[in-house]
Amino acid sequence: MTSAELGFIAKTAALARKDLRIEMRARETLPPMLAFAFAVTVVLSFTLPGAPELHAPRELPPVGTVALADVVAGFLWITVLFAGLIGFARTFEAERDDDAIESLLLAPIDRSGLWLAKAIANLVFIVAIELFLVPAFALLFGFRVLDDIGTLVGVVLLVDLGFVATGTLFSALAAQTRSRELMLPILALPALVPVFLGAVELSSDLFVGRGLAGDGSAGWLAILGVYDVAAIAVSVMAFEYALD
Amino acid sequence: MISLDNVTVVFGRTLALDQVSVEIPEGVTGVFGPNGSGKSTLLKAVAGLLKPQHGRIAIDGSDRRDETARRAVGYAGHGSGLYGRLSLRENLELFASLYGASAERAGTLIDQLGLREFASRPVAELSAGSKRRAAVARALVHDPDVLLLDEPYANVDDEASEAISRAVATWKTDGKTALVATHGAKKVKAYADGGIILQRGRLIRSGRYTSEGFTAT
Repeated sequence: MTSAELGFIAKTAALARKDLRIEMRARETLPPMLAFAFAVTVVLSFTLPGAPELHAPRELPPVGTVALADVVAGFLWITVLFAGLIGFARTFEAERDDDAIESLLLAPIDRSGLWLAKAIANLVFIVAIELFLVPAFALLFGFRVLDDIGTLVGVVLLVDLGFVATGTLFSALAAQTRSRELMLPILALPALVPVFLGAVELSSDLFVGRGLAGDGSAGWLAILGVYDVAAIAVSVMAFEYALD
Repeated sequence: MISLDNVTVVFGRTLALDQVSVEIPEGVTGVFGPNGSGKSTLLKAVAGLLKPQHGRIAIDGSDRRDETARRAVGYAGHGSGLYGRLSLRENLELFASLYGASAERAGTLIDQLGLREFASRPVAELSAGSKRRAAVARALVHDPDVLLLDEPYANVDDEASEAISRAVATWKTDGKTALVATHGAKKVKAYADGGIILQRGRLIRSGRYTSEGFTAT
């Protein structure tokens, strides 16, 4: 009693749908991520200067002159980073319950398909967080997100790909440990430094309406592109060992 | 046919399986022994869920960790192996689709194991006994050539036990091999073709059930 066996993409899609369906019912991943993002945004709205001062350079004695846009963009991406880590730490929670991971590991699906399915679900969560955070920061701090929305979306996706690829791989490694919530940031943060440096450098220009005219923009785009390709390639190859 | 050749599994300082060598022919073989004797470890090693430090395990001659061998195995461990937030039917249909089995197969097993009234409930809400039956249904969903059941009768009432035994008997046809681990041998002996006995990770005895009783091999 068999039907045509699904191909790699269909199996991956079925597993990603399963993860999203579980989240729709359990609501255990996205709400904490959103709550964290909301709380940080509220705190920042009271502590950072508002829109009129965004373009003004500030004198910070230890580092010299800093554009506030860089600082605020940094806070935005740090909020995305930590909200993401909260979500990534739960990547394998559904599999840990009642040993569902054993059934999944025995199923005839390439391990790269398991990684891709988890990464797709994580990408959905990260995009949902960004759909809240970017408009919120635009309102509170006067980010000009609509000036070059296409480029901004491109940069954000470039950042997200590297973030999600790396975060999903390290979430599998951390899931093998008892203190996985602590292990994930310890493992992932050093590896994510280039992604978030690039994110701040590129997006701060976009947020003040300067486009990607900055001197280092091409270089940062190249770094993000290379990082994404490397992170995806390493994750596809290493995921099997991460789950063992 | 499942072959174990000098298989040793160590967890830290605990020797879970100690140089176990045995040929398990077609049919149902009971794996007996007290708690901690290595039954679960043996089944996990055969399933490919853990790698022995020494020795080799083969299913019909091939390494059990490759995808073809994985496809041939149906395994039900101590947990249900199912997603608690999904219904039993959603779970079985998901795994059926991954193995290329039909959705009807899931429905057939739900009926066979007496789970129809629970089919739409989230697995997390099922009783321990219903979860055991659900685990067996999941292991059988792709009609595997090799079936590995770890304590399928734990926390299960008589009616559910009979349903599990019937499902295994229906699955069992020529060329198929099952290992059923239990520390209460009675239910498995009723339909098993042979048995192996483990104690402290060592193989103590193996044999087949014949008209004259248990014949050592």
